[in-house]
Amino acid sequence: MRRADVISGVILAVFGLITLFIIIPWQIEPGPAGYMSPRLVPVLMMVLITGLSVLLAIRNLASDAAPGDEPPLFTWAEMLAIVKIATVFAVAIALYFWVSPAVSGGALVAGSLIALGERRPWVIVAMPAGLLITVWLLFYKVLGTAIV
Amino acid sequence: MDIITGFADVLTPKILMWIAIGVTIGYLVGALPGLGKATGVAVSIPLTFYLHPVAALGMLIGIAKGSAAGSAVSAILINTPGEPASAPTALDGYPLARQGKAQKALKMGLYASVIGDFLSTLVLIFLAAPLASYALLIGPVELCAILLFSLTFIGGLSGRSLIKGLIAAAFGVFFATVGIEPETFVPRLTFGLLELDDGIKLVPMAIGMLAVAEMIAQAGNLKALDAEFEQIKDGTAHEDRVILRSEWRRCIPVILRGTFIGSVVGILPGLGASVGSFLSYAATRKASKTPEKFGTGMIEGIAAAESADNAVVPSSLVPLFALGIPGSVIAAILIAAFILHGLTPGPLMFKQQPRLVADVYAAMLCASLIMLIIGSVGQRLFAMVIRVPLRLIIPGVLLLCSIGAYLETSTVFSIWVMLFFTGLGLLSRKLDFSFVTFLIGFVIGPNLELSFRQSIQILNHDPANLIHHPIAMAFGFLTLGTIWWVGRGHSPVVAAPTSATRNSREEEA
Repeated sequence: MRRADVISGVILAVFGLITLFIIIPWQIEPGPAGYMSPRLVPVLMMVLITGLSVLLAIRNLASDAAPGDEPPLFTWAEMLAIVKIATVFAVAIALYFWVSPAVSGGALVAGSLIALGERRPWVIVAMPAGLLITVWLLFYKVLGTAIV
Repeated sequence: MDIITGFADVLTPKILMWIAIGVTIGYLVGALPGLGKATGVAVSIPLTFYLHPVAALGMLIGIAKGSAAGSAVSAILINTPGEPASAPTALDGYPLARQGKAQKALKMGLYASVIGDFLSTLVLIFLAAPLASYALLIGPVELCAILLFSLTFIGGLSGRSLIKGLIAAAFGVFFATVGIEPETFVPRLTFGLLELDDGIKLVPMAIGMLAVAEMIAQAGNLKALDAEFEQIKDGTAHEDRVILRSEWRRCIPVILRGTFIGSVVGILPGLGASVGSFLSYAATRKASKTPEKFGTGMIEGIAAAESADNAVVPSSLVPLFALGIPGSVIAAILIAAFILHGLTPGPLMFKQQPRLVADVYAAMLCASLIMLIIGSVGQRLFAMVIRVPLRLIIPGVLLLCSIGAYLETSTVFSIWVMLFFTGLGLLSRKLDFSFVTFLIGFVIGPNLELSFRQSIQILNHDPANLIHHPIAMAFGFLTLGTIWWVGRGHSPVVAAPTSATRNSREEEA
């Protein structure tokens, strides 16, 4: 049994059922009379996904492999990287709305540098500035357009 | 279609400059571990919005070709392939570099790449148009069957599990249904968001799944990669830095075989460059009189792997150009660029846009030669670039990804889409669901739905009427056969042996 496959199979099957019976009827109208239903393909795909997910869970439940020696899905370093990068993006998006797109871009670069372990102040200052100037030159001067 | 006209359009300083920029970017992207050609092309598409179509397509093709060649640099120097398809290159390239013969190995990697790429481009030119003329004869029922077969084939072969591949494909088609339904104008799964009325955009999705997800995965693996950079050394003897005539004599047949294998693998949807390079490497080792020496620094190993790896890129466009079906993730992403610049891939493009097709072909051939020049001149520079620590590269890539996604709609909504699919991309890597199949399912989803709806009407809601469509029946049986064959564990997926790109091997498919 591969535990991750069993769990993902179950989660996908539940997601498929919720989509089939709640989301699709809620989000897609039946369509006008005389036309083929706009729900047809989404429903078919969800039926397929649900069926295959159940099969995935059952096949892995029935397999002989021992569940104990599986490596974790995400290592500690990977989880830390995800949290750090997600935080940097959250700050950058907030700055986009509250300050300006340029500050947001600078924060994205500087924040990721710090998050990834860069501690030299001149790199943390020079790299965002250099990249933003390069982007400005590329779009506004070389390509002759604006980022709006 | 007149290729001479194509060369007349392409051989201008401006177009050649953009192709050269594309090849250079591609080479750099390919050389950096974790950044594949699909990532490079996806991030660069928005940069081409404002370029002339020929310059834009030439640049993107240059990126695709350059990155396939550039991935050998990190494979040889730090035993970490820029792309999974260069993993067999590392088997002999890295030992050669440890012996102080890095320059020799890099040169052979470049020459094999250029020859494989150039010959495979000729295969594309001579094969796509004749195939397309046959494709024009097929109707919606046949097209639906072919698309289903392709999706099943790709789903079965691009991952380790057929079930997961099919789930990924179904999700791709499902996400393609988001937006206003073109027949009834009913909004589907938009949750009241006007931004979703036009559907989900491919570029932010691809950037999120391929580039941002890969950068985050690499960010969790920084220490291991940094340690590899310390191992690089270079020899001083002349014979260690050039390819000797005797080595050329041994490698030419190997390169030709690798090109043939790569071209065939590229034409078949879903197999990908990794399968091509591993098959070519295995065939060369088997044909060698000294197979036991492979893995210790045999230059033929590099020639075999790189020629096949690069031959896959142009030939994987054969199904795209002839049938409109993307057989690889790079083809799926290039569709967006082709359509954006006025060229809809498929059999009709040879009739409707012969001049642009000729321009694309000419640009592809020029890109091969430019790759040779830039690879030769810039080899030392590229070797230096890979010494730049990833922690300095990732922030720049994240900024480019964000700008690229933003430019698609000029709203922050695209950034949310990118981040949503980043999460999905990370999960699909970790759980081994093929994001290649997902993306291809997403790209062919609208065509599949349209042809499926038309088929139902043509067949008068009765599957028994399929008997009047023998080609569709044949592809139906092929689909069932694929499910049976792959379901019995015959998937030819080959895992890359090194750590950095382990999770991204299927980007090559």
